[in-house]
Amino acid sequence: MRAIFNLALKDLLLLWRDKAGMFWVLAFPLIMALFFGSIFSGGGGSSAIGVALIDLDQSDNSKVFVEELKKSEALKVNTALGLDSARNFVRKGNLTAYILVKKGFGESTFFSRSDSGGLELGIDPSRKAEAGFLEGLITQALFKPMQQMFSDPSKTQEMIDQQMSELSDDVVAQNPELSHLKEMFANLNSFMGEVDSTELNANSPMQGPDIEVVEVSRTGDRPKSSWEITFPQSIIWALIGCAAAFAISIVIERVRGTFLRLRLAPISKMQILLGKGLACFLACVMVMIAILGFGILVFGVRIGNSLHLLLAIVASAVCFVGVMMLISVLGKTENAVAGSGWGIMLIFSMTGGGMIPLLAMPDWMVKVSHFSPVKWSILAAEGAIWRSFSFNEMLLPLGVLISIGIVGFTIGVTILSKSDG
Amino acid sequence: MITAKNIVKRFGNLTAVNDISFELKKGETFGLLGPNGAGKTTTINMMVGVLKPDEGTISLNGTADPTRPEVRMQIGNAPQSIALYEELTAVENLRFFGRMYNLSGKKLKERVEWAIEFAGLKERRNSRVNTYSGGMKRRLNLACAMVHDPPMLLLDEPTVGVDPQSRNAIFDCIEKLIREGRTIVYTTHYMEEAQRLCDRVAIIDQGRILALDTIDKLIESHGGVSVIEAELAKRPDGNLNIPGEINGTSLRIETNNTLDAINKLAAAGLDVTTLNIHKADLETVFLNLTGRSLRD
Repeated sequence: MRAIFNLALKDLLLLWRDKAGMFWVLAFPLIMALFFGSIFSGGGGSSAIGVALIDLDQSDNSKVFVEELKKSEALKVNTALGLDSARNFVRKGNLTAYILVKKGFGESTFFSRSDSGGLELGIDPSRKAEAGFLEGLITQALFKPMQQMFSDPSKTQEMIDQQMSELSDDVVAQNPELSHLKEMFANLNSFMGEVDSTELNANSPMQGPDIEVVEVSRTGDRPKSSWEITFPQSIIWALIGCAAAFAISIVIERVRGTFLRLRLAPISKMQILLGKGLACFLACVMVMIAILGFGILVFGVRIGNSLHLLLAIVASAVCFVGVMMLISVLGKTENAVAGSGWGIMLIFSMTGGGMIPLLAMPDWMVKVSHFSPVKWSILAAEGAIWRSFSFNEMLLPLGVLISIGIVGFTIGVTILSKSDG
Repeated sequence: MITAKNIVKRFGNLTAVNDISFELKKGETFGLLGPNGAGKTTTINMMVGVLKPDEGTISLNGTADPTRPEVRMQIGNAPQSIALYEELTAVENLRFFGRMYNLSGKKLKERVEWAIEFAGLKERRNSRVNTYSGGMKRRLNLACAMVHDPPMLLLDEPTVGVDPQSRNAIFDCIEKLIREGRTIVYTTHYMEEAQRLCDRVAIIDQGRILALDTIDKLIESHGGVSVIEAELAKRPDGNLNIPGEINGTSLRIETNNTLDAINKLAAAGLDVTTLNIHKADLETVFLNLTGRSLRD
């Protein structure tokens, strides 16, 4: 056992002194975490949706509508563009959408619809989620002029007078049903003449219920911040870096002759390979703790369950020791192992959520991700950090990770033993 | 101490070692000489148990299994390639390899100090190996094989690619080990090294031992005649009782007894202006046995 520890310590010292290796193992994963974390958290600028708003109507109602949209924090409204410019901006991706307020918009009322008026929402068809969100904001803004109209009795009376003028005796004669509507307008007009506008504003049914926005900290199965997604993702890059570095170190030892020298010492080949595995395991554990520690201290990443996280770290390290051993036998030269190793790792990472978060993956890709150790490693880490996995739920990713580790290590050691006679 | 009996090693269709047998006594320095690809390194790898012979047996100190830890403790191996950790210092390399041979504490410290002294690296003991010259690396490569104080040493071309000064320093190191009574197997294709260091030599080619004996006996049996070339001041008159052929003022004598021929030359009273003696050496033996065609 002492020989295995001595072998592992030697490898850790070699890794520590290899500046390029340390970059890929520690610095690169941190850069990835910071880069993607800042993108997803919106820390690099405004997260509001940029829209162009063109008001061709310029009526009182359209102005209220425009002002209402401008007030929205979810939108960044640009009213300085013409329709053509706005369309170009959307086409080039500089704006998410444009909203055209057509002429006649102001004449559309609660009781009648203008044929010419209305709105046009121009948006990239690939941005369906934002389109739905925008429609909601527009609908909300449309109710504002209507609410103002009903809150001011004189304006309501104006509208009723206009509607009654349209319901002339000739029109009613052709359609006797409209006489009831005309009667209702007359009663409403009379009511509006009698009400106190101040009291109406205070108790208007058109105001709708007050919406109080209360911030509620998310708990349970959602991450509190983007850092809780990007830090588990970044430890994958650290694990990949460790596995690649140690796989390459095995080839270097074989090529330089130090592996042969070790084989002539009174230790078994298994001890030599276990020493390499232990070094890789310790390196993986240390960089994972360092990166997650950085995330916890600097970016407030919460750890849902420390014991589960410890298990996730150990299982992930075991898994990538197996992956390392498997990669080390993919070639006989440093270049062959480095090339094929990083190639395979990138595929694992792409399909396993190392690049695109598992949350954002389409269904088919989620199915493919089951074959990537990266997916299970991220799932185990997220399970401990924010997914609130129970111990039973943790067992699946932990079991898969440890199984991959054992299988990979066994295959790698068997091939290495055969190839060296 | 080391006995190889009829060992054979094949790699696919290639027979790298073909029915080799030899025996080494304690304290002997044994040279394995051969061109590239002759089977020297394969033989050494079988001796230390890295490769298993397909046929025959090798025993070290009476043990047929060289992979046993107690046998390996008796062997030091300096491989042909410089098998060192370049990012570690000399002391760190020695300490690490010492630990691999179960050294620890005071004993480890003493042996590391001895090895540093042995390799002449006292001034650069704490410098990383990747800052060393080729000669320094070679000396450290040898010292790492010696750090656990083995009685038996396998040196696989230990002077490849070093300058004359470093080569001499390595010779001094090896001669010191020989004086200490260690058993050494030395592979090389530098004949002067074998001639300087080895008690006995086996000339090996295409997996077979072509000749095995002391250097003097090999020269005697495979070296051929010595050649004496003399340039005379004037062409000699009449018949003289001297061996060889005279062509103008040039005299060439081929003989198995160089001293006798020179004595006859002196007795004839000839006025010799230059005299060159080409005595058969190990290189002549080597080329006579292995041929002069290129081996790539």
